[in-house]
Amino acid sequence: MNSMERITAMLNHQEVDRIPVYPILSGVTRKLVNATYEEWATNADVCADALYKAVKQFNLDGVVTLIDLSVECDAWGQKLIFHENDAPHPDYSQCIIQDIEDYAKIKKVDYKQSKRMMMHIDVCRQLVEKANGEFPVTAFVFGPLGTLSMLRNQEDMYMDLYDDPDAVKEAVGEVTKTLKDYVNALIDTGIQGIMFDTLFASGTIMSQDMWIEMESEAIKVLADVCHERGVLVMIHNCGEKPYFDAQIEATKPCAFSFLHPPAECTDFADCKEKYGNKLGLIGCVPPPMVVTSTDEAWVEECKRQIDIFAKDGTGYMLATGCEYPSGSDFKKAELMVEIAKTYTPYKK
Amino acid sequence: MSTTLVEMSEFLQKGRVKNVKELIQKALDEGIAPKTILEEGLLSGMSVVGEKFKKNEVFVPEVLIAARAMNAGTTMLKPYLVQEGVESKGTVVIGTVKGDLHDIGKNIVKMMMEGKGLNVIDLGVDVSAEQYVTAAKENDADIIACSTLLTTTMGEIKNVVDLVKAEGIRAKVMIGGAPVTQDFCDSVNADSYTPDAATAADVALSFCL
Repeated sequence: MNSMERITAMLNHQEVDRIPVYPILSGVTRKLVNATYEEWATNADVCADALYKAVKQFNLDGVVTLIDLSVECDAWGQKLIFHENDAPHPDYSQCIIQDIEDYAKIKKVDYKQSKRMMMHIDVCRQLVEKANGEFPVTAFVFGPLGTLSMLRNQEDMYMDLYDDPDAVKEAVGEVTKTLKDYVNALIDTGIQGIMFDTLFASGTIMSQDMWIEMESEAIKVLADVCHERGVLVMIHNCGEKPYFDAQIEATKPCAFSFLHPPAECTDFADCKEKYGNKLGLIGCVPPPMVVTSTDEAWVEECKRQIDIFAKDGTGYMLATGCEYPSGSDFKKAELMVEIAKTYTPYKK
Repeated sequence: MSTTLVEMSEFLQKGRVKNVKELIQKALDEGIAPKTILEEGLLSGMSVVGEKFKKNEVFVPEVLIAARAMNAGTTMLKPYLVQEGVESKGTVVIGTVKGDLHDIGKNIVKMMMEGKGLNVIDLGVDVSAEQYVTAAKENDADIIACSTLLTTTMGEIKNVVDLVKAEGIRAKVMIGGAPVTQDFCDSVNADSYTPDAATAADVALSFCL
């Protein structure tokens, strides 16, 4: 099986030759092309080259274009700060939404005016070309509420949700209109899927009711675009107790990338039991272990995840539950790939 | 307990600043001691929020609006507390470690600690080991609390612990943040790791008693 066949089979819950693997190598891939973080995050040629090299060098089964969480907010002119060795982020001293009244200023904008969105679209186009059908390319898109939080700052936005929820919701609607065009443009590049980051749909942040009220309708609009155009919908949520049911209801995803057991489950085994035949499950090795654990502990954790999620030999991709630490070396990524290739208890 | 204080606690839990301030004035007019208003009206309300947060019954937005109401209340009450000679239960120096600009987790821990009656000195984000130690010395702090969200900046926590030991100051070092674990805490010889903000506040208070 090549990677495309392996992932297709995994998502269809059919037999695979081995568990597919993707240790969410993103910013760290800049090291493969000797680029700074800023170069990697702003130059499509550099970024696409680095992500492609990672797939080839480490035998990854796909690529997710997680660049950083401030790609989308660039469309509204949010000032960003770039670093040599860290991910870009908004300049929170100069947020576009300074006051609760400023939500009314957020209107639909033309994504083509955003250098960062256009760069991401170019990255996807280049990767699809390089992949040539051998492995899937999945675009990563921050959800509407997340994008809005980058224009305000999370702490103030959380309080705004109580002080003037209608104002926030109205702005979410305008952001969604923009993201809808952006999603269509990403799909035009020939990508196989879009992974939406629904950061706030977890017990780490807000109640399920609040998330449903504030974002589920908006994320549904974006997911529907993908469904209508035959592109796979995936969800990424690395918060604790992610709300699986509410997100499945809204987006009907084929796969879920996560770090912690869902709110509806007692543990990962329960998650496999409840969702294993409905979703492709992607995860859930903790990225901090890349930095804090021994190689032996890392290998054991990868095996433990396979034992839990791949006991029936399918419907699972071994992955980190969030981005691989961008300051690390690639040793643990190589070990994870090795485990996916060689540890096959499901074949017994 | 006075019904005014019960109502105050309930409004605080709902984040209702205006109601909390009105009830503080009412309690003062009724002759209730400022220290009693603080403990039984404000801190007790925040304590309920902390417990509910720990049990996933309320979430970050609810904690933030409750803390905003508590801050408005304590600001209003401060002159009366000073007049009465009420002291805090301990002093904490808190910050997000050098190289890390994330502050929401740190801010929630700060709010929870203040909700326990602790005096919390917030050094902000991107705080060096030297800044923590200098502030702890200047304020005779009981606790230095270090937060980090990034795997790339976890190593800074060890620098803080090492400098605290080298300088021989008495402050306990508490650590937390998404990538931090008990194993990591043990490996850098910090005094305490706590997995959530409410527990951090409980442990901080226990260090001060």
